[in-house]
Amino acid sequence: MDATVISTRIRLARNVDGLPFPHKLKRADALNIIDGVTRALAPLDRFVRYDMSGISQLDGAILQEKHLISPDLLTDSPFGAALISADETVSVMVNEEDHIREQVIMSGLALDNAYDRINGIDDVLSKSIKLAYSPRFGYLTACATNLGTGMRASVMMFLPALTMCNMMDACINDVGRLNMTVRGVYGEGSKADGYLYQISNQRTLGMTEKDILGAVRSAINYVSDAELRARMRLKADEPALKDKIFRAWGVATNAYKLTTGEAMQILSLIRLGAYYGYIGVKNDIEFQNLITGCQPANMQRLSGKNMSVDERDIMRADYLASRLRDVAARA
Amino acid sequence: MKCVKCARREATTEVLRRHNNHVEKLYLCDECAKEYESDTVMKGLDMLDSFFGGSPMGLFGNFAGFFDAPAVKSLVCPECKTTSDEFLKTGFVGCPRCYEAFAPLVVQTVKKIQQSDRHVGKAPVGAVDFAAEQARLKSELQAAVDSGDYVKTAEISNRLKKLCGDGEGY
Repeated sequence: MDATVISTRIRLARNVDGLPFPHKLKRADALNIIDGVTRALAPLDRFVRYDMSGISQLDGAILQEKHLISPDLLTDSPFGAALISADETVSVMVNEEDHIREQVIMSGLALDNAYDRINGIDDVLSKSIKLAYSPRFGYLTACATNLGTGMRASVMMFLPALTMCNMMDACINDVGRLNMTVRGVYGEGSKADGYLYQISNQRTLGMTEKDILGAVRSAINYVSDAELRARMRLKADEPALKDKIFRAWGVATNAYKLTTGEAMQILSLIRLGAYYGYIGVKNDIEFQNLITGCQPANMQRLSGKNMSVDERDIMRADYLASRLRDVAARA
Repeated sequence: MKCVKCARREATTEVLRRHNNHVEKLYLCDECAKEYESDTVMKGLDMLDSFFGGSPMGLFGNFAGFFDAPAVKSLVCPECKTTSDEFLKTGFVGCPRCYEAFAPLVVQTVKKIQQSDRHVGKAPVGAVDFAAEQARLKSELQAAVDSGDYVKTAEISNRLKKLCGDGEGY
């Protein structure tokens, strides 16, 4: 298991030439774009299409929890659609803020591989669809902040020690100076639930794709080094650290009710315990899947019925206790 | 500053959200900010202050604030009728043609927010390579000047101007 990096996501913003951007687009044009993208992707891996107009609330929420679609596509895009690859690594959102948002997610730090994958998809799309592009400004996007490459490279990082040592605000400042943005993946910016943060490039114009990937990689290395130093500081008081982690283990395996936030916090502490060798994780991928597994829509899906918040919290505690014993154990 | 939602606790976080095609900037306390999960852009106020050199302006805030120049005459896109005022207020344009219609404003704006106004990355399959096209036109221009062909010189000069933009084309 990577000590600080969870996953890499790269998205490219593209638009069809000659048509208004989605917030000014007519229904007929929007549907034509969806059909055009569907046809363009047909020769590639099997993509499943989800039209936002017909998707159930639960299916939409699950795709959102897996980060395969954005909240905006689900709630603010009446003619939106998403085409998602069978392995759920690539999703192409249509008629969100831009006509086309191509996205790939890979586990660990995989900036080059992720870019190669999405760039291949982009080449296929651009052979079938004339994209809005100017030599001066690059790919033309609905918002000027995405002009140029239209590329946002984000890395999800696990930063418990920086957060616990109250060093996250300083880290956000440092990363900001490198033209990067920090977002809390779940919860609030500088005190994110589960200590999970997305670090991504701010600039999209005046740099090549390779330059952007290099800049993101440098920022990730910088933050990763800072996190590992902070973890050494945390270990200076090992009894307190162990107590915190084993208490989390105790709650995870014995609680009767757990909110999503509590589950995230507990899983993060157990992950930290695995880093220090206090807890053994037998299956990294399954352990990682527990994060999305504990989200509200997934609980709903597993139960197969509508549940109250209380019922969901009770089910989450049971789910976590049983699954956790399969994938991890006290060392 | 008090949280705009509960009006009781101190605001610690700035939340920028898109709503009905407008960008709203909300100053929230820790408690209220927790409701804005997932991909909402959030930053500590200190970070924004630092990023914008002491000016507490959101990344997607009022773009008019990026201008040093005084009032700019409002422009209208001939294609989708979006105005330059709308662009300056939200950062959003209405269609690809808007970038041509508002080119001088776009150049000034993107220079501020992107630290550059020229694309150097990938081009779509079959698109014009900016650098190669610029070099070719410059060479043709020189030849036309040398041969004293003023009509051709003017024509190539216009094509070069349009390609390069420099605040007047795109």
